[in-house]
Amino acid sequence: MTAIRAVPSGHAWAAFGLQARLVANETTKGAKLLWRRRGRMVATLVSYLLTYLGFSLLVGGGHLVRPLMALTVPGLLAYVVAGTAALQGSGGIAEEANSGTLEQTQLSPAAQSVHILGRLAALAMEGLLVAAVAGVLLISVFRLSFHPDPAVLVPVLLTVVSALGYGLLMTALTVRVLSIGAIIHITNALILFFGGTVLPVAVFPGPGHIVARFFPTTLGVEATRTMLSGKPLSATWADGTLPWLLVHTAVLLTLGWVLYVTFIRRAYRQGGLGPQ
Amino acid sequence: MRSYATAVGNEIYKGLRFAWAERLQILIELPMFVIIMLFMGPIMGQAQQIVSGSLKWSLNSESTSILVAWFIPFMFFYLQVVKMFWRLVAERQAGTLEQVYLSPLPSWLVIAAGRVVAAVVETLIVAAGMFAIVRIIVPLHFHLMVSVLLPVLLMIVTAVGVSLLVAGATLIWGRIEMITESVLLLMFVGSVGAVPLVSLPDWWKTFGRILPVNTSLESLLGVLFQGRSATTLWGPGGLVWVLIVAAAYLAAGIFAVSLGGKIAKRRGTLSRY
Repeated sequence: MTAIRAVPSGHAWAAFGLQARLVANETTKGAKLLWRRRGRMVATLVSYLLTYLGFSLLVGGGHLVRPLMALTVPGLLAYVVAGTAALQGSGGIAEEANSGTLEQTQLSPAAQSVHILGRLAALAMEGLLVAAVAGVLLISVFRLSFHPDPAVLVPVLLTVVSALGYGLLMTALTVRVLSIGAIIHITNALILFFGGTVLPVAVFPGPGHIVARFFPTTLGVEATRTMLSGKPLSATWADGTLPWLLVHTAVLLTLGWVLYVTFIRRAYRQGGLGPQ
Repeated sequence: MRSYATAVGNEIYKGLRFAWAERLQILIELPMFVIIMLFMGPIMGQAQQIVSGSLKWSLNSESTSILVAWFIPFMFFYLQVVKMFWRLVAERQAGTLEQVYLSPLPSWLVIAAGRVVAAVVETLIVAAGMFAIVRIIVPLHFHLMVSVLLPVLLMIVTAVGVSLLVAGATLIWGRIEMITESVLLLMFVGSVGAVPLVSLPDWWKTFGRILPVNTSLESLLGVLFQGRSATTLWGPGGLVWVLIVAAAYLAAGIFAVSLGGKIAKRRGTLSRY
């Protein structure tokens, strides 16, 4: 934990600087923990790759079908970011609660939103790192080809924010129910399946397609895939994917944010920040 | 002997109380299991149809019955491995894990006994729920015989072994939730070699024989769908190989917990200070 001298009120820039420093401290803490877990991260990367190849072989009847892989790799990368955010976010805050350090964070002058930003930055770093390495390996080894367009960063960024919103939501729920960790594996499996990792979402039958679009990364993956197939950003707006993605991302992030703040305050009042 | 039995009984009772406290989670998990299972069936081996957009979503009685029989063991693996992992991590973080080593029982028995009975009860509830839901959509047919209990029992032994392997790794490395998740997914994908729903290369089936689930799953499916005897010694799902796999995973799990405990004690990481 980091202790920082409080800044006298009335100095807007100083207060902003303090908040920025607190976010940076949280992020640095996350980066240091990430470095300590680097071995486990490599093992996780290998396991995710093997799992993806396993599913590809399963759907391909024992063969890797490259056109299908080109359709499903974006889904895998989104799943890695979302899964990492949820599992590490939940595991991290459960660890803090069980070992008593979550209470200490409430002594910090940082607002809850600063805590959230710091946590999200650390989660994003870990998820994006694993996803980037997995993506580079799969694309280069299997020579998957896409239509590169810088504008694809728009849906990609929104997908990452949506995945982090899901991670924050799971982190918030962990504050309320510490033993929720096991359920996250099932919700992650649903994202794996309905987020376009195993098969493209467009293949699902009507109602299945609609339900799938409610999952955290599905809309982002659909928009990204549309652009990687050579269509412009305007096409994702015209078919309604991008507007819905914007709404979905905003709702998910807001929900996670509100629940996190609510549950932390509630736990603070009821003495539930420590082991339960 | 009596004190040992009391200690084991206490651990089982504790596990059941935890399970009862988390009963709402079971209700949340049930529909998720059913959804994944129902959508899994029609896509296996259908890559070309998926790419061309001509995939047909349909369920028939025979393949759905096999899917249900394939999924139920995985629910047990999930409930045993994942929940034991999170409980162990929580005990390590809260400092109560050290108390395990004050028990007269071996540490692996305390860890396993605390979860396995609860996992069996939870699986029975979820399996019954899954059966009831799927039965509404499509009829299910099994050759239910008493002898099915033999592969089920050996599957439980294997799952305990796998959970102990994860426990050993947890004692050494602590939070390995992402590895636990991907290992379970890998086991799930690998087990397809034992399911007669999609044609896979021989190497997949050969490799699958060393995976935890495949051999006992082959035996289970043989009894349920071909009316084969569970005591058939050789061939796919033969009792000899099923016994070897179950014993090997249990022995490896016990060794892993013993090794993990020694390393954690030496490092002083059984708890957080």
